[in-house]
Amino acid sequence: MSSSINIKKSVIDTLLAGLLSLIVFGPVIGILLDGYDFTTRPSLLLTMVAIVMVGRFAISLFVQSEKGQMMLYKHQNNDDGVIVLPPGHKSKMVYIVPIAIIIGLVAPFVATKYILTVLILGLIYVLLGLGLNIVVGLAGLLDLGFVGFYAIGAYGLSLGYQYLGFGFWSMLPLAAIMAAVAGAILGFPVLRMHGDYLAIVTLGFGEIIRLILTNWTSFTGGPNGVYAPLPTLFGLEFERRAKQGGTPFHEFFNLPYDSGLKYVFIYLSLFMVVCAVLYIKHRLVKMPIGRAWEALREDEIACRSLGLNHVLIKLSAFMMGASTGGLAGVFFATYQGFVNPTSFTFFESALILAIVVLGGLGSTVGVVIAAFVLTVTPEMLREVADFRVLIFGLLMVVMMIWRPRGLVRITRTGFAVRKGVA
Amino acid sequence: MDIVLQQLVNGLTLGSVYGLIAVGYTMVYGIIGMINFAHGDVYMVSAYITAIVLALLSFFGIHSFPVVILFTLLLTIIITGVYGWTIERVAYRPLRNSTRLAPLISAIGMSLILQNYVQIAQGARSQGVPTLLDGTLRMHIGDGYVQLTYMKVFILVAAFSGMGILTYIIQKTTLGRMCRATQQDRKMASILGINTDRIISYVFVIGAAMAALAGVLITLDYGSFDFFVGFVIGVKAFTAAVLGGIGSLPGAMLGGVILGLAESLFSGLVNTDYKDVFAFGLLVTILIFRPSGLLGKPAVEKV
Amino acid sequence: MSKSVLKKTLVSLAVASSFAAFAAHADIKVGIAGPMTGAYAAFGEQLWKGASQAAEDINAAGGINGEKLVLVKADDACEPKQAVSVANRLVDSDQVAGVIGHFCSSSSIPASEIYDEGGISEITPASTNPQYTERGLPGVFRTCGRDDQQGTVAADYIIDKLKATKVAVIHDKDTYGQGLADATKAQLNKRGVTEVMYEGLTRGEKDFNALVTKIRASGAEVVYFGGLHAEAGALVHQLRDQGFTGGFMSGDGITSEEFVTAAGGPKYVDGVYMTFGADPRNNTASADVIAKFRAAGYEPEGYTLYSYAALQVLAAGLKGANGDKTKVAEWIHGNTVPTVMGDKQYDAKGDLTVSDYVMYEWHADGKYTETTN
Repeated sequence: MSSSINIKKSVIDTLLAGLLSLIVFGPVIGILLDGYDFTTRPSLLLTMVAIVMVGRFAISLFVQSEKGQMMLYKHQNNDDGVIVLPPGHKSKMVYIVPIAIIIGLVAPFVATKYILTVLILGLIYVLLGLGLNIVVGLAGLLDLGFVGFYAIGAYGLSLGYQYLGFGFWSMLPLAAIMAAVAGAILGFPVLRMHGDYLAIVTLGFGEIIRLILTNWTSFTGGPNGVYAPLPTLFGLEFERRAKQGGTPFHEFFNLPYDSGLKYVFIYLSLFMVVCAVLYIKHRLVKMPIGRAWEALREDEIACRSLGLNHVLIKLSAFMMGASTGGLAGVFFATYQGFVNPTSFTFFESALILAIVVLGGLGSTVGVVIAAFVLTVTPEMLREVADFRVLIFGLLMVVMMIWRPRGLVRITRTGFAVRKGVA
Repeated sequence: MDIVLQQLVNGLTLGSVYGLIAVGYTMVYGIIGMINFAHGDVYMVSAYITAIVLALLSFFGIHSFPVVILFTLLLTIIITGVYGWTIERVAYRPLRNSTRLAPLISAIGMSLILQNYVQIAQGARSQGVPTLLDGTLRMHIGDGYVQLTYMKVFILVAAFSGMGILTYIIQKTTLGRMCRATQQDRKMASILGINTDRIISYVFVIGAAMAALAGVLITLDYGSFDFFVGFVIGVKAFTAAVLGGIGSLPGAMLGGVILGLAESLFSGLVNTDYKDVFAFGLLVTILIFRPSGLLGKPAVEKV
Repeated sequence: MSKSVLKKTLVSLAVASSFAAFAAHADIKVGIAGPMTGAYAAFGEQLWKGASQAAEDINAAGGINGEKLVLVKADDACEPKQAVSVANRLVDSDQVAGVIGHFCSSSSIPASEIYDEGGISEITPASTNPQYTERGLPGVFRTCGRDDQQGTVAADYIIDKLKATKVAVIHDKDTYGQGLADATKAQLNKRGVTEVMYEGLTRGEKDFNALVTKIRASGAEVVYFGGLHAEAGALVHQLRDQGFTGGFMSGDGITSEEFVTAAGGPKYVDGVYMTFGADPRNNTASADVIAKFRAAGYEPEGYTLYSYAALQVLAAGLKGANGDKTKVAEWIHGNTVPTVMGDKQYDAKGDLTVSDYVMYEWHADGKYTETTN
């Protein structure tokens, strides 16, 4: 590996980058539209171009250095999808999981209400990520309309309460079942389609659900949305004034009213559901159905020739994923206290997909981490309000370039035949 | 009668624009198999560039329509092309050999970046351009009439010539042959001495250029735009590309026109509220019976 | 980053640090919530500018019983999800004593539940949907009117002044737009006029040619649109392009110079009717405030003065409640507040007792004036 640094090449690279950035930034940054007229901002433009040139020069030098060459080599050759651990590997998760659960259970009692709401949102996205991870990560079916199931869950709670008088706890399983049925209905026609046709059909499905929710004003309340009830604890309610015909929690126990209490309760219920889903998911991957999903992802034809029922496998993936999305929707509705169609746009689907890919396709731990990264970051960036979305977008691009396979790779413990048995 | 005819004309102009943008989706998909979600925002950027070029031209005292339109088209297409090249170079090329979904997420990030970048640079308010071409064409049919502004006529002519030129480039020139070769088999093409990385860059430039053409036409016609216009039209154009069979150039154009007509006729004759439901419903129906779109090649299953 | 943004950041930093210096005294924090980013950021800016000026003036006059008002900017991008999130943040982290905002009705409504739980008042300068005050929350107020009042004025004008019997009612399928369109439709129907068409368009789209052709086919003499300026502009442009010569009317959602750019030039907005509160800029009480805005190079259009007035109401409430933020609502309900827009008095729901909607007309020079006839 030659370690001599070719300055001339770097300079040429830098000049080219400067020229490009002049063309790219020139009109949009250098000239500010003002009605049909404009004003110029040459100094700002030059600053931007200078930043790009300095950056390019630094990168060019770094890439030529030995360390940079190493990184480049590593980047181009990280193609192995699954890391296989040696047989008998003891996972550190044994220690991490109980600690995480304890932290999770203590958190609501120490966190402020605002942090608690961000945590709730984070956990909702964990659920969504886990659901989509089954469809995209395990079964390899690209779904761009996952938000549809989310919407079904959220509206299921609100409309079920409004028309049928069901409360939170009865709608929770019902909404999951409804979403699963919707998943089956969607899954059926799309089974014939491959890869990206599937993507657009699911996208269409998500949009259709949102449009119906918007337009069917008499049933769904249209853009005004509908009220969603809070969860109750054996009939005790967590609002200042009881709305569902029960007794307010604070009156029952003769406590002063604390508006944070309802979030503590939502959080704890949500936390338990997330733990349960995580456990189920963890077991599923090791069960025949989970193995079948992954096998189908790797090679559909091989699977079918081995006698696996691909229709059933795909459908089950869709339904499992959808029901998890439905659960997330119920919690979202109750957390908001109100749902309307603007919460279920295509951008939401893209965000959930980003969680799955960023976390590492198929990796459960990765999804959990990515869900929190993607929900907490925008909240932290509130301080720099104007640049919030820009930084968020940059983060997505940089993360993908840095870790194209996601934060956490799937690992699998290898199997070895025990000696003396064969 | 006149109303149906007017709706056909509406659908055709809308569809031709969808087609122009769909070309960018379909070519990129054909060559590297990724959905370029930032493409709609490239179109949005081109709308801003159009307005900036127009403002510059009027500052230099150039007002004759043919000159203005020529310069606007030329400059906007070039600058937007550079945007396409830069985006590919920065956000997608480093991901060339990674998983299929990584560039997709990168593209979503890029789309957010472009939107926010334009919002910060040019402000959140909606912007406009002055009317360049006044006057309308009116044809009387019975009691009613069909009315088209000259601008609409210009859109139709320009959009279809744009597609014609592109078809010529892809079918007849060396560059086009190299594009098609790379699309069919990237490895083989590179063995035959084609610089596939460069070809992929060209494809992004071509896609951006077509989006720029659409951007100029639409901006001049509607006279207004904001930094959010890329999203809705991007989703529609992508739908059009899939409808026609993603990866197929004539398919994208056909898909665009069909989608435009379907939307127009449905909202005109039935109901505007549900026109998008109808558009997506149409797509799903077509895909159920032709899983690879109208003109797409069916995927071969090798055993 | 644009210069103006840089400047804004620096100014807000400077302001923040100067407030930090004051923090030794007990300051009173007030949240200003609205779409500071996103497609409706222009309206967010109006709210912020109005409230900032009001805070400056109130503080210069001695603050609230000696304490200074400090504003906290909260961005909801007109999304309910973000509105709930910032509302929690304002109540919990920033411990605000009251909130001016939000802009979109679809944000104000869910956020008001959070403010209610937190026991503070919310005064919106712009959300006109009736549902905002109809749910019986004690701490919600507005300095603008309600859609049903606005719709009544619009429908009466269509029937009495424009003498139209064929009206097409179009909305943008959003809480505000559809609410307004429904209110107008209700009043039209009440007066015996059945609309020839009632349909929604999609926010964010630009091509409404198909809808325009349909409007033409319906034979409508007047188009009533419930929605915001971006779609209203594109719609009126395309109506004119297809040779529609009838009237076009909309509500306070198009009260922005941006309506002219969105329509593609002043000639397209000529003759467009709009309902809006009696222009606060014509009010004598506001003359010196307006002069201050103009001196700072800012034209206080649209909701700027509504936001100014909202903070005045809140400040008066805080003063009257003597620092007990839970008593603010009670005080505002019981007293008349002099504001930059005249004296304001509230009914039990939190609506203004006097509705002052009047009809405006846009002209070919891109400005609007009150109709005289």
